[in-house]
Amino acid sequence: MAVGAVMLKLTGRTEAAGLAGPLADDVWRVCMPGESAAGRPLACLVPSGQRPAPGYGLYLLGAEAVPGAPGPALRLGPGLGHIEPGDIIHVPADARRVSVLWKNSARHNGLLLTEQCDNYCLMCSQPPKDRDDSWLFDRAMKVISLLPEGARALSLTGGEPTLHADSLIDLLSHCKRVAPGLSVHLLSNGRRFADPEFARRYAAVGLSDIMAGIPVYAPEPGLHDFIVQAVGAFDETIHGILNLASLGQAVEIRVVVQQHTIPVLTGLATFIARNLPFVAQVALMGLEMTGLARPNSAVVWAEPADYQRELIEAVGILTTAGISTRIYNHQLCVLDQSLWPYAVRSISDWKNDYLDICRSCSVRDACGGVFTTSGSRLSQHLHPVPDQSAAIHGGARA
Amino acid sequence: MIRQARTATLLPPHGWQLLPLRFYRLDADCVVATNLVGEHVFMTPAELSAVTDGTCADQELLARLRAAHLIQAPDETLPAELLAIKLRTRMRRLPDSTGLHIFVVTLRCEHTCRYCQVSRQSAAKSEFDMTEETARRALELAFRSPSPHLKIEFQGGEPLLNFPLVRWITAEAKRMNKEHGKDLAFVIATNLALLDDEILDYCAKEDVYVSTSLDGPQDLHNGNRRRPGQDSWQQAVTGIRRVQERLGTDRISALMTTTEASLDRAAEIVDAYAELGLRAVFLRPVSPYGFALRGRGGANYDVTRWLEFYAAGLDRVIELNRQGLPIVEIYASIIAKKMLTNTDPGYVDLTSPAGIGIGALVYNYDGDIYASDEGRMLAEMGDRTFRLGNVHDSSYADIMLSDSLLHPLMESLAVSAPMCATCAFEPFCGADPVFHHATAGDFTGHKALSAFCRRNTGLFTLLLRKMRDDPYVRNLMWRWAQ
Repeated sequence: MAVGAVMLKLTGRTEAAGLAGPLADDVWRVCMPGESAAGRPLACLVPSGQRPAPGYGLYLLGAEAVPGAPGPALRLGPGLGHIEPGDIIHVPADARRVSVLWKNSARHNGLLLTEQCDNYCLMCSQPPKDRDDSWLFDRAMKVISLLPEGARALSLTGGEPTLHADSLIDLLSHCKRVAPGLSVHLLSNGRRFADPEFARRYAAVGLSDIMAGIPVYAPEPGLHDFIVQAVGAFDETIHGILNLASLGQAVEIRVVVQQHTIPVLTGLATFIARNLPFVAQVALMGLEMTGLARPNSAVVWAEPADYQRELIEAVGILTTAGISTRIYNHQLCVLDQSLWPYAVRSISDWKNDYLDICRSCSVRDACGGVFTTSGSRLSQHLHPVPDQSAAIHGGARA
Repeated sequence: MIRQARTATLLPPHGWQLLPLRFYRLDADCVVATNLVGEHVFMTPAELSAVTDGTCADQELLARLRAAHLIQAPDETLPAELLAIKLRTRMRRLPDSTGLHIFVVTLRCEHTCRYCQVSRQSAAKSEFDMTEETARRALELAFRSPSPHLKIEFQGGEPLLNFPLVRWITAEAKRMNKEHGKDLAFVIATNLALLDDEILDYCAKEDVYVSTSLDGPQDLHNGNRRRPGQDSWQQAVTGIRRVQERLGTDRISALMTTTEASLDRAAEIVDAYAELGLRAVFLRPVSPYGFALRGRGGANYDVTRWLEFYAAGLDRVIELNRQGLPIVEIYASIIAKKMLTNTDPGYVDLTSPAGIGIGALVYNYDGDIYASDEGRMLAEMGDRTFRLGNVHDSSYADIMLSDSLLHPLMESLAVSAPMCATCAFEPFCGADPVFHHATAGDFTGHKALSAFCRRNTGLFTLLLRKMRDDPYVRNLMWRWAQ
């Protein structure tokens, strides 16, 4: 089904070559030969045919690299050839595989901070797990320590990162110290920010470019609390947004468009325009049919072609109110053409893909494609857009 | 994978409280309920009864009422907090105080309009001109205003008959502003008959806006606005085009006055504006002041007829928009802003507290200071109720704290005025103590007898029905509101 070529394989097998014992660390930044390790966990990527210099705690060998590294070495398995200097990888104790935690050339890099959450959203793509996962924060700290110079944007996701208030504040402070210019996007349900003291601590970190992306699914508690499966959540989330705003913190409101939110989309846009007009932007997001969205498919899935009228009216209300509005995770061929200017190629590189029918599409390069994680649950109306001029005259859909 | 049933988050019967809520019957089967800041929900009278007596089982309606902060669950604090923020936002312009400062640089005029609200004087009598010394004192008072935005509007009479003083005030205001650093704007309200290249050069160089009068088609305009030669319309149209070409289409706006002769010609009036490339038309009623009150001024029609005129004009404006011509009706846009946003545009004739003094101050040619242009017109008829002082002997505190200003402000406050306090349209409406003083003899008026109330109630009803019934109009109002 997939055209392929776009997807990146982020985890893959490796073959240990010259491992005497356990590695000195589990998180490494990939570097070129010549960069001084200076005690840092740098993994030297050995170009094919070259014999690497000594001084690194780990060597990464491509398929054609000459064996015989001066230290612990891993031969990268198939699909990992994209690993390049600046990437940050995780190598478990047995060194049988590597995972890419930071892809330096990617537009989006995210760090999962916890899988715990106090919401249980009907369409959650990352279902919460109630177990101690504090190692995720520890690993994220290491990644941030190793961020290459010029690293631009980092998303912090969960679960709900603010459940671990002290760890999160420590991590943000760490960002401020080692990468003060980094653009940080924190995905949170916002409830913890209802605590003015926590909101104050968050703001006091003083990162120059941080935005909290907070979901609001309905303009009133009755529906929002049902969707997030937590009574009282709406009250805390909105209080949290107000607290952040009063501290001058940027907030993005994220709305997942699904069966329950479609009938209230214009009401929600009106609510935001009237009550939260100060937000930095509103993201209207298509469903990623993974996680809880799969078992709950019958109550959350909605055909995008069927909710274009609601989407147009909501975008109209928000934009006339002067609120920056983006549409995420929608394929251009199912989006009314009047909405194309708001559509963002938002699907992360490692999980976006195009279908065979996309081959002949004239706007493929401007489109985000589909979630590989959504499986076969896609719009029934996906089709190649014949060519721009025809599309402009006839609309994206017949 | 669903842990909480939908019913767990819904409101049970009698499980909600009413937030401050007022309602108005729009039609036999439709009422509109509004909250403190004008957010509103349409429903049937039976639904309203069920909501108020706690028996409503329509969860979709209850959710809309909850979202619009008309009802809340008993233990919630968020709706009241959000309402408070919205109310504060609506009031945020008040501490800025006066932004509009009207300078009547001369009472002389070469027009003799039927409805003119100030005494006209022959163009030769220079004792009706403002002096530099008076203008300087007026500017000193204007710069005392805390407002970061100052708009200086030159009025008359015909201000171009005293153009040297217009130039002098512009230069002097800019000089004084070097110290104050305010956002300073200038407008000349002129009939354009005296427009020449020197004046256009000045407007271009000094960044001055032009506001003029255009009553509609030629015969209607010239019938209302008389001058020797009966060429007022030709002068205005030529002037509008010259300003558009020289300064840009956004530098000129026109105002119309409705007379009896206008009443059947709303669409023609709108078209006259559209044909001239004007992007806004303001369908205004005639004011009950000045010569207009004396019977021969063309104001002898009632509110019902004016509302019919307005509705026809608005329909034409909407039709032109549907055809792709983006023209705005200003009255509707002011009301749309009040209905759909938390911003009160502070339009002096439709705001509460009233716009007198704190929205606009008028410096008459002789130095007398009035709380509004209408207040000055009443004075020309012998009623000096709204005279706040004189630039030569009053301090800023004397003016702004005078009983002549504070009494009418307090007595007309809509939120506490009888019948306004309980009116669903109070958040959209305003207080007009000058109108009620002129027509009812006190600052509050009796709203059952008030033409101001009937006119605006009619307008709100009209606009709400249109927004309810026509998605295109709803969308247009959203755009006009911004």
